[in-house]
Amino acid sequence: MLLELKNIYKWVDQGGKRIFLLKDLSFKVEEGEFISIMGPSGSGKSTLLNVIGMLDDFQEGAYTFLDEQVHSMKDKNRSKLYKEYIGFVFQAYHLIDELTVYENIETPLLYKNVKSAERKALVADMLDRFNIVGKKDLFPSQLSGGQQQLVGVARALIAKPKLLLADEPTGNLNSAQSEEIMKLFKELNNEGVTIIQASHSESNAAYGSRIVKLLDGMVDNS
Amino acid sequence: MLKNYFKIAFRNLWKNKLFSLINVISLAIGLSASFVIGLMVYYDFTFDNFHEDGELIYRITTDYSSPEGDNYNSGVAVPLTKAIKEGFTGVQKSTTFFTSEPARVEAGSSAKTFNNPEKVIYADTDFFQFLNYDFLAGNQATALQNPNEVVLTESRAKKYFPNTDFDNLIGETLTYDDSVMAKVTGVVADFKGRSDFTFQEFISLATANQSYMKDQILDDNWHSTSSNTQLFVKLNNKNAHTNVQTQLDELAKEHESEDAETYGDYRTFHLQPLSDLHFSENYGVFDFTPHHADKSVLISLLLIALFLLTLGCINFINLNTAQASQRAKEIGIRKTLGSSKKQLVFQFLGETFVLTLFAAAISILLAAGLLKIFADFIPEGLHFGLFADPVIIGAALVLIILVTFLSGFYPGLVLSSFKPVSVFKSRIFSSNSHATLRKSLIVFQFVIAQVFIISTIMVGKQIHFLMQEDMGFKTDAITYVRTPWLDSSMEKRELFIQKLKAIPEIEKISLGGSPPASFSWHSTEVDYLDGENQIHSELQLLYGDSSYLNLYGIGLLAGRKLRNDTIREFIINETFRKVLGFETPQDAIGKMIDYSGEKVPIVGVMGDFNQRSLKSKIEPMAFVGDWSRQRYSQFNTVHLALHEANSADWSGVIAKAENHWKSVYPGADFDLQFMDETVEKFYRKETSMTKLLNWATGLSVLISCLGLLGLVIYTTERRVKEIGVRKILGASIAQINVLLCKDFLVLVVIAFALAAPLAWYGLNSWLQDYAYKTSLSWWVFVSSGLGILILALIIMSFKTISTARRNPVKSLRTE
Repeated sequence: MLLELKNIYKWVDQGGKRIFLLKDLSFKVEEGEFISIMGPSGSGKSTLLNVIGMLDDFQEGAYTFLDEQVHSMKDKNRSKLYKEYIGFVFQAYHLIDELTVYENIETPLLYKNVKSAERKALVADMLDRFNIVGKKDLFPSQLSGGQQQLVGVARALIAKPKLLLADEPTGNLNSAQSEEIMKLFKELNNEGVTIIQASHSESNAAYGSRIVKLLDGMVDNS
Repeated sequence: MLKNYFKIAFRNLWKNKLFSLINVISLAIGLSASFVIGLMVYYDFTFDNFHEDGELIYRITTDYSSPEGDNYNSGVAVPLTKAIKEGFTGVQKSTTFFTSEPARVEAGSSAKTFNNPEKVIYADTDFFQFLNYDFLAGNQATALQNPNEVVLTESRAKKYFPNTDFDNLIGETLTYDDSVMAKVTGVVADFKGRSDFTFQEFISLATANQSYMKDQILDDNWHSTSSNTQLFVKLNNKNAHTNVQTQLDELAKEHESEDAETYGDYRTFHLQPLSDLHFSENYGVFDFTPHHADKSVLISLLLIALFLLTLGCINFINLNTAQASQRAKEIGIRKTLGSSKKQLVFQFLGETFVLTLFAAAISILLAAGLLKIFADFIPEGLHFGLFADPVIIGAALVLIILVTFLSGFYPGLVLSSFKPVSVFKSRIFSSNSHATLRKSLIVFQFVIAQVFIISTIMVGKQIHFLMQEDMGFKTDAITYVRTPWLDSSMEKRELFIQKLKAIPEIEKISLGGSPPASFSWHSTEVDYLDGENQIHSELQLLYGDSSYLNLYGIGLLAGRKLRNDTIREFIINETFRKVLGFETPQDAIGKMIDYSGEKVPIVGVMGDFNQRSLKSKIEPMAFVGDWSRQRYSQFNTVHLALHEANSADWSGVIAKAENHWKSVYPGADFDLQFMDETVEKFYRKETSMTKLLNWATGLSVLISCLGLLGLVIYTTERRVKEIGVRKILGASIAQINVLLCKDFLVLVVIAFALAAPLAWYGLNSWLQDYAYKTSLSWWVFVSSGLGILILALIIMSFKTISTARRNPVKSLRTE
């Protein structure tokens, strides 16, 4: 088992009312799964991904990641954990505008203190694999959306994570580009990377091995 | 990692060129001021730090305390120098020397004469054992052991005997003032380090018996003290200080004057550490050393540097926290990619460091300019080359790192605390949440700028007031020249005056002592018996012939002029009349003053005038004739009143006078002084202070306004949409401008409210130094407040009006 969420509650207080973002949510992920989380806007997809990615807190419940208790962990250890095992892909790509393609992909390695020579080799492999060697010195603003997302995925994978979290990875892409990314995800999954993606689209969700439906912060079992 | 930081640092700085420029300029100004001022402090604090056992070396000086105040003299009574040598415990070495100002020296075989050779001393036999000079020729142990011997420094030797080997100089003869012969017995190297011991010619003390200083050197009176007599001791160890001071106190007690009991005038001897020599305001360094460092000036300079640097750092903090939201996305991404908070803070500090380095590079260029501008404050030996000193380079690096931390740390913390989740949901309120801090910092900046502005105006006003204020005597079109003091012949002075009388452009001529206001003064103590009461007072003496008062336009209020030039009579001033308690000037006439046991009548009362700058009060004074002409004439200065109307011809008149001078005093320098220039010299410190203040004000206003401009640009850009909507709803450009500027103007007003009392307090205490002071007028405060308000408004309007004029359709569409 890769991770398990047990009875997670997350809420915000707004105008005297308590609004639940996640409500008594329990969720288990085995290694090698490809899960698509679906649900309407505001159902809690992004919040769930952020909680899994340890970017966001929750108020109640228990979260176990690779047998470690995330909810009772110090910030420092938590960041060590996700730096090691989790990669992120975003709908808006979130590349650093001031860095070139090469440098964007390299950045996670810098934070893991990988040596320069090894970094070069790893980034070169990645550029090669995604066929973007020719674009390595360009800045994000010089790329199309699909290309930017490719870089985003490459960057997420460079540190060899066990888990890839993708929040609407194709939300800003046209259908051809979407398909390319989804095929890539499938391929990665076959290589052993666990993937959890949030998606609106049925066709994208279909690439997953399991679909989890969310409604109002709860798993919708209907 | 580091390379990556610098790369992104550079790209970020390049992307925000305007803000980077503002930051760099602000920091560069602060840094250059710090560099220059730091250089001055370093320069002044590294004097005489190279002497062997320097911390054990002390100069013995004399302090006087009396009911009227304290007095200080850097010299001692001559008998003390002998007492130290015989029987003092705790002192391992001592040396005595007398500073001397010979009028001329003739250099042996070359037979060349040099006028006023400066920095000549008569040094005792221990001098070269006391201070470690490097002998280039001659023998250190025997150099000054006999009469008629002299040691020269290499620079002086080269001047007197160019192109001669130092070894060949030994045995050459120098003749001082045509009478004192001295054989060169050594040549020493100039001190490599900075030193106040700048003596050039060391004549053996035994030689002094043949010179004009004979009387002083043989003086065995414990009560006559001259700053010429310099006594240095080297203690056995640090702990000997108390012991030596006790022995000095005992000596002072033993040789107490009779006045001590009667008038409360006490004298003590003081051990002045060598390290204090360069800074002592009370004692000065040596008689002929013009520059002594003023610790209070150095401290105010350091404060100015600190302020300017702080202002620069504030700009940086303000602009970067304001811009933080623009970088929030990058921060968020980096965090999800695994960056820790610490790493982000370091990244940001790295950027700050790059920017500070740029600023430092520019500031070195600016510093070169500042050194020129502040030449008045800067001692001669301080030059740009000092920047290469390793200590200075080290200090500069420390400063750069310090500035990096001061300005980069807080913005770094703000940026690194962004939560990725909030960033990606664009829920950042940073620009508002740190607004209070930014506002406080702006207020702080403008408080400093305001205080500077108000001070500048007030100091200017005070100086104008002092310059305008009537001294009480005529200062225009009056010049004076001092006759060579070595030549005491009255006949020559008369001859010179006779020749001058032939020049028609000279209106009046007088022979006398110093002018009514000068840097030198003669004072004595007198008594007056008013029935029962004895009035004891200090009295300044002004010497002049019968036309002196007339020439300077000093009027007689009662009585008559002196009957002749040497008769013993007083014409007292109004202040002295009041001290003596006479109701009217008329009452004073005919009264007798007790002067050194002699009764001298008051024959006249003259109007009051200022004897020195208007900082000091008018002192009791008496106008007298040349009483001691038999021994030594006080009438050594020729005063000339020129026709005011034809000032264009003055240079011709002066040339003629100089010709006459040359015929009477061949070989002597003709140094004619204008009275009004002498008066201006009283205010040299104030004048240079004004200059400093002007610059400090200009720079602090510049930095503060740059920061304000940056923030206005930023906030205005953020409100483009709001402005568009308001325009569509019918707001005019003026209304929008008011809307945009209002917040900032309020800050400027708050700053004024804080600055005004601060400035009032500071200036009020500054003005206490002056006997004559201008008023702290309300208009100074109001005008400087309004001035900066208008300036701020103009600067802001650059940006706000252009934004307000933008077509709302465009700004709304791009949203």
